[in-house]
Order: sequence, then structure tokens, then C-alpha cells
Amino acid sequence: MAGFSGDETAPFFGFLGAAAALVFSCMGAAYGTAKSGVGVASMGVMRPELVMKSIVPVVMAGVLGIYGLIIAVIISTGINPKAKSYYLFDGYAHLSSGLACGLAGLSAGMAIGIVGDAGVRIRFRNMCHPTSTPWRDLALQFLSLLRRDLP
Amino acid sequence: MSTATSSSWGTALVNISPYTFSAIGIAVSIGVSVLGAAWGIYITGSSLIGAAIKAPRITSKNLISVIFCEAVAIYGVIVAIILQTKLESVPSSQIYAAESLRAGYAIFASGLIVGFANLVCGLCVGIIGSSCALSDAQNSSLFVKILVIEIFGSALGLFGVIVGIIMSAQATWPTKV
Repeated sequence: MAGFSGDETAPFFGFLGAAAALVFSCMGAAYGTAKSGVGVASMGVMRPELVMKSIVPVVMAGVLGIYGLIIAVIISTGINPKAKSYYLFDGYAHLSSGLACGLAGLSAGMAIGIVGDAGVRIRFRNMCHPTSTPWRDLALQFLSLLRRDLP
Repeated sequence: MSTATSSSWGTALVNISPYTFSAIGIAVSIGVSVLGAAWGIYITGSSLIGAAIKAPRITSKNLISVIFCEAVAIYGVIVAIILQTKLESVPSSQIYAAESLRAGYAIFASGLIVGFANLVCGLCVGIIGSSCALSDAQNSSLFVKILVIEIFGSALGLFGVIVGIIMSAQATWPTKV
């Protein structure tokens, strides 16, 4: 125990922070992947050629898992009471950072899932009856932020 | 070092043996992973069998979805075996030493990570595998495309295993004096 400085229970909170970072981000990634994947499969039955283009929400959701992995590894390698004193302050800081990353990933994943599912189904409907001009509308919106006189 | 015992959290945690935490971590790592795999297989399997009534050609290809779900359970078994080799016996004077406590917490968190990451991975792969079977029954060119989505899903279990193994390297017990 020579050189083991800091509070005894602080690693509990630190390791739980790393766990929260990864588990909640993976929950968000799983939700996003599953929900948008089901939408892509449903749309692909009608239009198989659109499936590969519609994989974007799945990739975005997968990236959330990687964010959680990075934060979990950073936290877990930062808990080293032999090299650097690890007080309750550090433990709580790690817990909150893990929760922040994880819960943000969870909400982002749920949003990606719902939007991706709706988006691929609307894409299919738009391919059948093209009525909207998404790029032009987006450009007009940005321009209207720059120039107040545009509608 | 006993400033932690001034708070109620600290007093409660310091008096729980690290072997309790380790055992719970190991149990969660395998138990919850197997729950995720089973859930995924049941979601995939029921859709697969139902769709195969009208399209029997899909059965052999779509067993891949079941294998992806099974892989999640195997990750849980591997990490549980690794974690239980990290357990060492320490003399009873040192069970509640700071280093032993940290080792117990590391194994606990590692087991939690692997178990719950595999749970959500199994669910995700199961749901996508079910839609893969159903869309393959309609149009066999869709199978490979939906399988790409399933591979993204199964990467989540791997993330859990990686972090679990990295964290289990922190589980160092005090050497016998």
C-alpha cells in the first residue's frame, strides 16, 4: 500500500462513471441502430436501390458507441491512486463526466433512431411523389438568417 | 485515508467486502450478457420461423443473425472467465485495505460494463435480424444490405468487451506481506 494516496471509496465512483459512459452510450447507439435499421428494411422492400444510401443514420448511431468507449477508457486509465492521489473530488468528477457523456449519447441515439426511421420512410414517399425541395429550403433558411429582408 | 468514512456513503462502502463486489460483477457480466443474447435470439428466431413458412429459402442464410446474437453471450463468458482469474486471496488483515477495495470496485464496474453493453447489443442485433429475415423473404437482394446494419449493431458488444478488459487490468490486489 506504499504510495496509495487518496480516499478509499473514490475509485467506486470513478469506475461507475466509466461504466455509465459506456453503457448509456451503447444504449443510445443500439436504439438508434435498431430503430433506423427497421425503417430502412421496411423501405427497402419497396425500393431496394435506396437501402445503401439510407445507411447514414445507422453509421451516426454507431459513432455514439465509439464516443462512450473513448470516454470510458480515458476515465478508467485516469484512476491510478498509486501514481496520483485520487480523492473523492476526482471520483465525483469522473462519475459526472461519465454520466454526462453517457446520457447525452443515450438521448442522441434515441433522436437519431426516431429521426432516421421517419426520414427513410419519408424519403421513399418523396421518391414516389416528389413534392419538397429540401436543399433549396435549407439554403433559403440560412440565407434568411444572414439577410433579414429575405422571407 | 479514512476521511471517506466521515460520510455515510463512505462508511457503507468501506464495510462491504471487495469480494462481494467482484462476485456481483462477474455474475452480472455473464448473466446479463446471456439475457441479451437470449432476448435477441428469441426476437430473431420467431420472425425467421414465421417468415420461412412462405419463403423456406431464407432459413439457412438468416441463421447468421442468430449467430451474431450468440456471439454476445460468448463475449460475456470470456470476460467472466478473465475477471475470475483476476481474483486473488489476500490475508484477512488486508481485505479492507484501500488497494483491495479498488480492485473489487474495478471488477464490479468491468462486469457491469460488459453485461449491460452486451444486453443492448443483443437486443439491437435481434431486432435488426428480425427485419432482415422479413425483408429477405420479400426480396432476396436485401439480405446482404441489412446484414451491414447488423454488423454495426454487433460492434457495440465488442466495445463493452474492450473497455471491460482494459478496466480489469486495474484490479491489482495488495501483495501478501
